[in-house]
Amino acid sequence: MSRRHRRSLSAVALAALAVLLPSGCATTDSPQPTESKDVARSALGGFSIGGINVGAAVGAAQSTVEATREITEPEEVAMGKGISEGLLGAAPLVKNAQQQRFVNNIGRWLALNSGRPDLPWHFGIIETASVNAFATPGGNVFVTRGLVARTTTESELAGVLAHEIAHVVQKHHLADIKKNATKGLLLDLASLKGGGLTGEAARAVARVGLEGFVRGLSREDEIEADRIGVVIAARSGYEPFGLVAVLQTLNAMPQSDDAMALFLKTHPSPADRLRALEAEIPAWYETLAKPNPALVRYTTLFKPKP
Amino acid sequence: MRRFSLLPVTVALCAAATLALAEPAVTVKQVELRATPAADAKSLLSVPANTTVDLVKREGAWVQLKSGRVTGWAKLFDIRLPAAGSAAAKNSAGNSMSQTLNLAAGSRGTSVTTGVRGLDADMLRKAVPNPQEFTTLETWASTKEQARTFASAGRLEARTLEPLKAAGASK
Repeated sequence: MSRRHRRSLSAVALAALAVLLPSGCATTDSPQPTESKDVARSALGGFSIGGINVGAAVGAAQSTVEATREITEPEEVAMGKGISEGLLGAAPLVKNAQQQRFVNNIGRWLALNSGRPDLPWHFGIIETASVNAFATPGGNVFVTRGLVARTTTESELAGVLAHEIAHVVQKHHLADIKKNATKGLLLDLASLKGGGLTGEAARAVARVGLEGFVRGLSREDEIEADRIGVVIAARSGYEPFGLVAVLQTLNAMPQSDDAMALFLKTHPSPADRLRALEAEIPAWYETLAKPNPALVRYTTLFKPKP
Repeated sequence: MRRFSLLPVTVALCAAATLALAEPAVTVKQVELRATPAADAKSLLSVPANTTVDLVKREGAWVQLKSGRVTGWAKLFDIRLPAAGSAAAKNSAGNSMSQTLNLAAGSRGTSVTTGVRGLDADMLRKAVPNPQEFTTLETWASTKEQARTFASAGRLEARTLEPLKAAGASK
């Protein structure tokens, strides 16, 4: 089959998908006020189809549907699974079921208080000394052992997870993948119609997603995830300054530290993020920061006495 | 000072997250050290920007700082922690036992010298997908009900809060 022919077929398949499947807009069945401006921006983002001339392949009406099509939630979940499998190929899970279940409990609780409470959320600590955290579309959040080690309270760990949840809620990585999608990836997306990503298609999606982790998101996305993450943590009953404390810690790590290399390359500086949060968090938020002795459970599990 | 004679007792009594050891911090603006953690509390001392003080502890939005003989409260945003080995870290009144306190006990500021390669760009690019690990990940997932039970045990109550506005003029 000629390349051009395959391209046309995939465009038709995508157009058909767009008609058959409901829109994958962020679910807003949370009792919380939504980030209205942000959701609107995400919805208007549409689906860039990577320069494929759809009009030449399908009818005008179909191409209109195609050009504004959102990736559906099942597609997003399948993509996120593929990218997560790639990430886990680079850094496996820490084999500590107690800590992993604890992180899943914190994360699931935070997600319940986010704009997308119903995604199939998964949280994992991955085995590397590097300081970093990752989110993949569809609700998968990973934090490195090196970053967990630099938190000192449950509120700090929650602050980190809430930042990653905010990336998923705002579909930051999904938009990044769409923006950088190649024609090849779009063929892979079309294959989702058959249910699930397998084989070479899954590897192609994972490659694009992992390349996104190497490239990093925009400063705007990171600052937004900080701001929304602080609110998610506060809505969940955590004191809101956990993320701020972690950023203070990371700001003090030597820039030359190997463990910080990829993180610093792919994020705004911690000092920049601290300045932004200082401008955004209202003074009255300090009233949400009551001491909570019940959270000593974090210390018992993550900082056990020798 | 009496404080040092109390140190071993303090260490023994405190959980890791509340170690009562000072560590250096640098003010990023002129800071009032207040008698209590409240914006309208009496100012005990006015500390200029770029002054190295000792960070005693964090409580939510506030940090307890010590400058000379004066101990008082300032905002968490008013300070930065100097990198280990920096001039500010060395100038601190804190001794070599100085540990980060309620911010990052122990591990902060130490370079990783294990020789083990961290997660870098090359490893991400060359990663071979590991579906088995994803299956393991799924076995640790929490249900909504488990998450609510966990929150309840931690006395975490959901609150309704409006989204925060982006800072238009942030640099």
